Amino acid sequence: MKRILFASILATLACQTASAQWLPISNASAKLENSEMGGPFFKIEYELGVKDLSPAAPAYVFARYRESATAAWRLIPQQTLRGDHDIVESAGKKKMLWWGIGSLGLTNAPQLEVRVRGIRMIRVPGGAFKMKIVPGGGYDESKGQIESATLPTFWMAKYETTVAMYCDYLNETGKDGSGWHKHMANPERCGITRNPGDAYAVAPGREKFPINYVSWYDATAFLDWCGLRVPTEAEWEKTLRGGLYLDGDEAKKAPNPKPERKYPWGDETPDAGGVWRCNADGDADGFAQLAPVGSFDKFNCPYGACDIVGNVAELTLDWYATSFHAGLDGYRMARGGSFMDPPAGCDAVTGATQLPVKRSSITGFRGLRDARTK
Amino acid sequence: MKPSDSISRRQFVTTSASVLGTFAIVSQHKARAAGANEKVVIGLMGCGGRGTYVATMFANRPDTEIAYICDVDTRRFSRVRDAIEEAQGKPPKPVQDFRKMLEDKRVDAIINATPDHWHALGSIMACQAGKDVFVEKPMTHSAWEGRKMIEAAAKYKRVIQVGMQSRSCQYLRDATEYIRSGKLGDVYLVRVFNMMQHPMRKKPAAESSPVPPGFDYETWCGPAPVVPYDPSRRWLDRWEFSCGAIAGDAVHQIDLARALIGDKPFPDTVSHAGGVCALTDGREIPDTQMVTFEFGKLTMLFESALWTPYMTKTPMDRRDKGQLPPNWALNATRIEVLGTKGFMYYGRHGDGWQVFNEKSESVVAAPGRQADKEHHDNFIACIKNRQKPAANVEQGHYSAMLCHLGNISYRVGNKKLAFDAKTETFKDAPEANKFLKRTYRAPWVIPDNV
Repeated sequence: MKRILFASILATLACQTASAQWLPISNASAKLENSEMGGPFFKIEYELGVKDLSPAAPAYVFARYRESATAAWRLIPQQTLRGDHDIVESAGKKKMLWWGIGSLGLTNAPQLEVRVRGIRMIRVPGGAFKMKIVPGGGYDESKGQIESATLPTFWMAKYETTVAMYCDYLNETGKDGSGWHKHMANPERCGITRNPGDAYAVAPGREKFPINYVSWYDATAFLDWCGLRVPTEAEWEKTLRGGLYLDGDEAKKAPNPKPERKYPWGDETPDAGGVWRCNADGDADGFAQLAPVGSFDKFNCPYGACDIVGNVAELTLDWYATSFHAGLDGYRMARGGSFMDPPAGCDAVTGATQLPVKRSSITGFRGLRDARTK
Repeated sequence: MKPSDSISRRQFVTTSASVLGTFAIVSQHKARAAGANEKVVIGLMGCGGRGTYVATMFANRPDTEIAYICDVDTRRFSRVRDAIEEAQGKPPKPVQDFRKMLEDKRVDAIINATPDHWHALGSIMACQAGKDVFVEKPMTHSAWEGRKMIEAAAKYKRVIQVGMQSRSCQYLRDATEYIRSGKLGDVYLVRVFNMMQHPMRKKPAAESSPVPPGFDYETWCGPAPVVPYDPSRRWLDRWEFSCGAIAGDAVHQIDLARALIGDKPFPDTVSHAGGVCALTDGREIPDTQMVTFEFGKLTMLFESALWTPYMTKTPMDRRDKGQLPPNWALNATRIEVLGTKGFMYYGRHGDGWQVFNEKSESVVAAPGRQADKEHHDNFIACIKNRQKPAANVEQGHYSAMLCHLGNISYRVGNKKLAFDAKTETFKDAPEANKFLKRTYRAPWVIPDNV
């Protein structure tokens, strides 16, 4: 038996523009088919509306589904997919996914709805780098000073998660108000309103701003929803500085000219020469408060990550532990400084502690994909 | 046995006025700006975790405004600035030099949440500038500083509240009244516990690190020598900057014990046992401390260690829930009061109190609640009515003094020392008296005449 279904795919409706939000996905369709021996599967086709994807700057593509209009949306496990999913290194038409659904035990597969979304990523090749998480208000003594460390290859989101992306997430999941905080409604700081029927909306013009007022739990819930996770401090710091070799330890043909750089662009302070390189405290950088992601894209990390310092401090996976509190309060580390920090605080080493329940205007996050989650 | 050797009812009444709430008026000074219906304008000095927490609590009050946040490390502003702005809907002004805040006549009071070595100097400078002070514990870094703070508060007619918020708990008043009523009989022994878990500190990767931009390290050192910059928290283990865990946390316990036994000011003798036993990472300040204080025939035994993971403070999510009794045997912050007729457990963090009679029967088991808000209420009320607060500067001095005396006994080789309450010095112990006052580095000096 062969049935055909055109799934409801949000990407076709909402992701036509801004590359700093979801990648534009168009002409998506899904067909339910039956293989001779492997049981039913979905054949999902879509087009990635960008031209500049590459192994160094790929997309992360994930898909979610629900069994009916009243069912909860679920992430399609990447391991059940084949084709152009997860890390996708080239753009173009006729991207294709095969989703084997034989194990789901579905009784009404034709009612399935599928949504495909994509996030712009940058690749951080495996290898050694200089890690110097030392000075700062959030110094974590349990780590000490690590002169160099080696990490496997991972992919980091090029931009911080945006208001538009988070609002999309809320509309799919936040039916009880969870994940949303009243401060988000402030159009000067965030701009997501919660409307009757748990319909969330972005204040006009706020789409490309980084999401804030999210707790560490909110951030990890969003990333679980995508199939990503928050980076560790080491991963964050390697993204900022680059490895000892920018092409990784396997190639070792491109030595990093500044493996101990203080800032993504080098050692010049964020305001050196009157040129602002990130969104720090004050309005001299052009932004009295937050800036849209990508506003300082001339001053990216060696691998191309934008805004890793300033704007919003970025939550990480790491605990903060000191002798006097020993992690009892569950503090997590946030790195990179924010729009309320002086330029000196928007650097590679300064960290700040944040309670995991705290929703603050100065913290946000970006996602990471690695070999373990891949 | 003389009544004065233990706690008799009469003595108790005369010495525990502050706990019982019959506060004396320190001055007739009228609050400068903070009238009954005016907001009290406050500045924060020290934007670390505790300062952020306390300032945010004040920012959430309708009767206070946090106008300034001050820290020598400008990288610490953002978190507290955000939290305060969110709480009060108005951003505080960040300044690196706290003296700019002191110059602002609009500011009524400061929160001093700096490291130990800045508590007294910062508070005295605030008094001189006409500000009332909420200073974090321990109130002083050395014994001599306590008397100077008392003098400054009196001279400038200032309210000083110490961040020993357990003093504002209703259940402390209840337990104290129970002891005062004589139901425990005569009390000769009080055992005070403060057991914690600290990790061994790692060796620094370098002897010194470059001072990060945006950080005025010289001012951070203040009265202490400018030692090579170390970004870790090893300064907490050095006498120049810290009084150690005994004062940093256990001063709460010692203060509660003092309140329970009628706020006796100074002991006759002190003797310390212990040292650096488990955490042999180069620290100066001991990880194991057993201190005996003799108040006449009443003995206070204090025990503290930093390597006892099985003894825990009541977790945050179980505090103030009215659960009784706690697991007293493994309760890390308990006090045991032993009388001739009864035995009392008293626990910090809202752990309540329990009494056993001569037959070892539980006759009282009362829950407790923490009192951060009440402690702040008390401070704001005292700013307006100019009365002595619950944890006033005298009690702050006496409780911190016990910590200093124990440390000094350790520093002279765990010797038993006799203390002269009138001169606030040790008797016939010049080597111990050297530790009563620190050496100050100019210009950060507390003058003899404050």
